[in-house]
Amino acid sequence: MKTAERGIISAYDLKKPVNRIVYILMVLMIAVMVVSMLYPIAVAFFNGVKSNVEVNTFPPHFLPQEWHFDNYKKGWAYIDLVKYLKNTLLIFAGSMVVTVVLSGLASFSLSKLEWPMRKGVYYFFLSTLFIPPTTYIIPNFINLKDLGMINTYWAFWLPAAANAFYLLLLKSFFDGINQELFESFRVDGASELRCFFQLAFPLSVPIFATLAIFVFSTAWNEWFWPSLVMSGDHYPLATAIKRLVIDARRLETNIRFAILTMVMLPPIVVFLIFQRFIVRGLNVGSIKG
Amino acid sequence: MNQTTVSARPLAAEPSRARGRWRRYFWGYAFVLPSVAIFLVFLWMPIVKGIVFSFYHVDFVKGNSYVGVDNYKYIFKDPDVWKAVKNTLYYMGLCIVIGFWVPILFAISISELKRFQGFARIAAYLPYVVPVVVLYGLWRWLYDPVGPFNATLSWLGITPINFMTDTRWSMISIVIMETWQQFGSALLIYLAAIMSIPRDWYEAAEIDGAGVWSRIWHVTLPSIRNQIALLFMLQLIGTSQGFQSQFAMLDGGPNNTTLTYALYIVRNAFNNFNYGVASALGVLMFLVLGVLAVIQHRISGRGGNAA
Repeated sequence: MKTAERGIISAYDLKKPVNRIVYILMVLMIAVMVVSMLYPIAVAFFNGVKSNVEVNTFPPHFLPQEWHFDNYKKGWAYIDLVKYLKNTLLIFAGSMVVTVVLSGLASFSLSKLEWPMRKGVYYFFLSTLFIPPTTYIIPNFINLKDLGMINTYWAFWLPAAANAFYLLLLKSFFDGINQELFESFRVDGASELRCFFQLAFPLSVPIFATLAIFVFSTAWNEWFWPSLVMSGDHYPLATAIKRLVIDARRLETNIRFAILTMVMLPPIVVFLIFQRFIVRGLNVGSIKG
Repeated sequence: MNQTTVSARPLAAEPSRARGRWRRYFWGYAFVLPSVAIFLVFLWMPIVKGIVFSFYHVDFVKGNSYVGVDNYKYIFKDPDVWKAVKNTLYYMGLCIVIGFWVPILFAISISELKRFQGFARIAAYLPYVVPVVVLYGLWRWLYDPVGPFNATLSWLGITPINFMTDTRWSMISIVIMETWQQFGSALLIYLAAIMSIPRDWYEAAEIDGAGVWSRIWHVTLPSIRNQIALLFMLQLIGTSQGFQSQFAMLDGGPNNTTLTYALYIVRNAFNNFNYGVASALGVLMFLVLGVLAVIQHRISGRGGNAA
């Protein structure tokens, strides 16, 4: 990649003026795209530090004339972000544990153990991929209600493992681990349970990291489903923001943007720091067997 | 698939055969059983219940009562359902017209950048990282009658547009917002595919006298054909179920122009408490989308490595 490797356009092509103009236009187009990606994010930040009068002036200014960092203090007092963040993290952690243990065991069994009807059970899991979740969103809610799980974290933790995509992701990873490794472990007298937790588990850390990205982004982004299942103090952060900040009528616009900035910046920072790792993790996840 | 044939396990050759076999398969079943139970309770049970509820009037207080096909009759008589179907098709179409080609175009362009390639890629993906609820608040302000978009329009001397409340614009505004937010993830998939095309194919094409456009048309696009087909199907399946942006930004308004089918389901359940009708709507939707999902699986089975 470092040496001048050619792409679609070669150095020879660029000698022609037409191609050169097209290339310059293309670069400009990308530049416009980059600006339009960054602009709204910058707008949220700058609006969060303007005075309320300035946010509401027309035409709007991009840069604030005076910097009101006390908006953050007001925003922090308006909504208990820490409480809702804790709820989100609780949902994430529980979902992750349940998925790793239950789907991990099942995919290990499907991939590395021999038993009759294995293929049938595999298709039992696989077939659920064809059912669009929106089609059973209402009975799903009633089902959780019947089970008495409404407004409990179990309503997120247990269904998290009912995900065929995660299960197949783990299975295709286990398929890639050499079977003989387990054989030698078994010959030494290890039980299958030890095979899983002491051998397969540590080997699967990369795929668990990929899984964590998916589970985390679900817990972090989902706002509609939690708004049905949870209430009040149990809302995760996204739902709380939707209900208390986006839908609020009497909240000043600048305070609103200050809160939105506080919620927006941590994931952006985390992404920028770990982006290499995250993009690689997503690529691991995209290879399906 | 890694079908390791029944691995010779001499140690397991024990006197009592039946017990030996039981012990041999025990862990296989024990490991898979919890997941089977979870799938049954949290996936199959709601699905079966949905079909059952579609023939019932669901009442949490008085209990459910069988109503036959009344729920279905109600649906086919309701004029709103046709409006919702039309809106959903319009939304799916707009997502293709406005959004589908964007990641392909930018993936090809970014792959040709000699510098700042990583930067452009990160910038494109950045909105995908921001929680969607934040974007709702942000875009509501951008689309405001006195927001920056209209400020730009009036500066250019164009009459302002009510992006949210104008019935001609509301759905388009939603699609533009979603495209902005989501095209980065498709871009990464296309970019990975484009970068893995052997460079000497272009070399060979150029020697054969193919211009830049015909290289894109005959080399690049055919090489990412599988990704295009797969993401196209995934987009259709995704957008056919779309309702969250429409709900959060406009609650289906103005005048039901952003009322999608999925939003109509949700509205029947949680505004009208017609859970039976909502379940029946879900069953009807399943029948249509199930066909799409099977087609998608066919394509992804052919495509090999993608999303």
